[in-house]
Amino acid sequence: MGTFIQQIINGLSLGSVYALIAVGYSLVYSILLFSNFAHGGFLVIGGYICYYTLNLMGTNIWVAGFAALVGAGFCAVLTERLAYKPIRERTSVTLYLLIASMGMSIVIENIFVIVAGGRFRALPPVIPTTPVDLFGLATTSAFDLLSLVAAVVFLGGLQLFLTRTKWGLAIRAAAYDLRVAGLMGVNVGRLISIVFFVAGLLAAVGGIFLSVRYTLYPQLGMITIKAFVAAVIGGLGSLPGAVVGSLILGLAEMLTAGFLSSQLRDLVVFSLLVITLIVRPSGLFGKDIKEKV
Amino acid sequence: MSLDETAVLSLSGVNKFFGGVHAVSEMTFTVEKGGLTGLIGPNGAGKTTIFNLITGVYPVNSGEILFKGQSVLSRKSHEIIHMGIARTFQNLRLFHRSTVLENVMTACQHHHPYGFVESLTHLGRWKKEEKVIRDRSLELLDRVGLADRADQDAGTLPYGHQRRLEIARALALEPELLLLDEPAAGMNPEEVFALNDLISAIHRDFDLTILVIEHHMDLVMEICPHIVCMNFGARIAEGGPEEIQNHPEVLKAYLGEEVVDE
Amino acid sequence: MSNYTEGILILLMINGIAAMGVSLLTGFTGIFTLGHAAYLAIGSYTTAILTLDYGFHWLPAVILGGLLAMIVGYLVGLPTLKLMGDYYAIASIGLAESIRLIIENWQSVTNGARGIPGIDTFTTLPITAGFFVVMAYGAFCLINGRIGRAFKACRDDHVAASLLGFNTPRYRVLSLSISAFYVGIAGGLYAGFISFIQPIMFDMLKSTEMTSVVVFGGLGSMSGALLGTTIITLVTELFRPISQYRMLIYGLVLVLVMVFRPEGLLGRHEVGPALFRKLTRRVTPAPGERGPL
Repeated sequence: MGTFIQQIINGLSLGSVYALIAVGYSLVYSILLFSNFAHGGFLVIGGYICYYTLNLMGTNIWVAGFAALVGAGFCAVLTERLAYKPIRERTSVTLYLLIASMGMSIVIENIFVIVAGGRFRALPPVIPTTPVDLFGLATTSAFDLLSLVAAVVFLGGLQLFLTRTKWGLAIRAAAYDLRVAGLMGVNVGRLISIVFFVAGLLAAVGGIFLSVRYTLYPQLGMITIKAFVAAVIGGLGSLPGAVVGSLILGLAEMLTAGFLSSQLRDLVVFSLLVITLIVRPSGLFGKDIKEKV
Repeated sequence: MSLDETAVLSLSGVNKFFGGVHAVSEMTFTVEKGGLTGLIGPNGAGKTTIFNLITGVYPVNSGEILFKGQSVLSRKSHEIIHMGIARTFQNLRLFHRSTVLENVMTACQHHHPYGFVESLTHLGRWKKEEKVIRDRSLELLDRVGLADRADQDAGTLPYGHQRRLEIARALALEPELLLLDEPAAGMNPEEVFALNDLISAIHRDFDLTILVIEHHMDLVMEICPHIVCMNFGARIAEGGPEEIQNHPEVLKAYLGEEVVDE
Repeated sequence: MSNYTEGILILLMINGIAAMGVSLLTGFTGIFTLGHAAYLAIGSYTTAILTLDYGFHWLPAVILGGLLAMIVGYLVGLPTLKLMGDYYAIASIGLAESIRLIIENWQSVTNGARGIPGIDTFTTLPITAGFFVVMAYGAFCLINGRIGRAFKACRDDHVAASLLGFNTPRYRVLSLSISAFYVGIAGGLYAGFISFIQPIMFDMLKSTEMTSVVVFGGLGSMSGALLGTTIITLVTELFRPISQYRMLIYGLVLVLVMVFRPEGLLGRHEVGPALFRKLTRRVTPAPGERGPL
């Protein structure tokens, strides 16, 4: 029973980190309708900014974290301006954006291979990982609880931003139809920049927690595949779907690791994806795509 | 179900709901073999939905659709097409990146098949059948006046020509029933005039039954001896052009607003 | 001819066979795959295991590898090819990773992550050339005929295709099966070329690379796929001395191609008399008289 509760908490904690990444990815998808494979790059950028500000400037985690979030947000906006904007201004074929994003993902990863080297780096012990006793039921790590709390705070913040602000309203309108939102007077260029900034920022939060969990290395961004899978299970473009999908994925992974074998966890994740899509081709919360004839 | 020998297509009591919208309600009509029937009605009356139900794009909620006495319900679109129905689309669905000729050949190839190994090796029937497909397609293009455009990309054709290409492509399926969905949409009066001639000529020469959707009443009145008029998903009148023109329900559906304006 | 040149030529042709497979699916049928490394792995492993453990001659081993890849492609395609756009792309990543994980964990047969060394190097230049010529002939025949037109119809407008009497799911599965066969054969030849295979060689990066060379050459152009793979293979060789910049440049090339020439090098034209005509003559003379109107 103790192991079960422990794995549930671990699962929710991992799932909440996936959720931070998946929500940003899904947010971009809901506006521009393409899978941004460079999203993993934003996460790595956040991780490295946090690492270097902590190590070189000796600042505390709040300053380093802030720098990482803002830095990754700006890099995401920069990526959009340099690589995607010229394409989306010329054509409506989203496939081209998808491939450009794969290119950007390779570029970002290899910039870090060249500049920082390929080795694994551990973040200084800024986030406590001490064991915590949960009312005698189970022991878990403080880190797991903290990542859960951080995810809830940031996702709650996103929810407030989307429902309570003018730009949040505009983003939700654009998710229905970007072109119409543009015709209604929304500054589309700025809106897309804001969306990318938010996506990059959330990815950086996930990146910091993932680099504590798995150490930091240039290919860490590959882990976003899991977040993509979560977003697809939840239904592309649906933010609640991304969160639910992420939690399901985190739980499935940790329960497999705890009770079956940790080698099988990825296999379980991908089987879950395929089964979900066979049963519901547009994910749990996805809009049913029916073409007008 | 009573069914006389001459009916090619018959709808009886067909209903279709989209969510809470009753898009087609108790629709009943028959299309006689060899006939040229017009399906008219104001915008949003549910005309295209009727075509989509006949060709299996959407499932029917209740009712029956028979083609040559056989039900088309529970069949997939491509199976219905192979029963002998062809259609065009209101919002043009050409293969834009293929040439004009290829568009027609794509439809034409069903009647001139050859095997997988022959496709892979270009041995056997490939050469002969491909030539037949090409010649027949060129013939059809010639028929709609597009032979000189054969090698052009379909997407670069002017609008009116794209509509003609859709007709040629549908004819290449060698259908018994041809469904034309607003073939005159977006055309200028001259083009509409020429199109009228084309439809009449095709009807005469290809031994076809044609059901044509229009919301320009004058076009249909001119070429269709039999007309079905619908509004809000239901049939409101049926008969010859004169009958329809003077039918009070039709006048209300079409001219209601204009009458009030006067 | 030096060993080095011969090696490059063999590699070019193996990559060419794989590229034709991907081109059939992605370029001609419009199904974007990010998981074709799996079929390469199936071909490689089948060939390696059949020749080493069961004493097969290389020729039946390679062909059986291709057939097994085709069968897996068929089985994978039946339930998943109803997925559209990015849903299929993400599902294909999941499926490919699953297949790779199965290979990695099926120790008794595949030797797990350590890979299989000592595969007989049967892949000589004449043998590769033989396979290449036969398979290229098949691919070019296929696209010039009824099946090629059916594929393109499914790609350009699947609704119109089904309303022109095409059983579009069937053609999509057919396309994937043929595509998997080509890639499986390439995998078998590859095993016999490098003589050592490991699951990590067939990861997502490999899948991305296989698809991006086809995009680079031009979606919907078989000769474009061959040109694309030739250029990328040669450029990759050229940058081998500065290998750390190799991937960076590769990523940049992808982005730049999408920004400046998204339709790829050849667009959808084939190298041949038709392209030549297109370049030299703008107006096509009428092959017949106008119609009755």
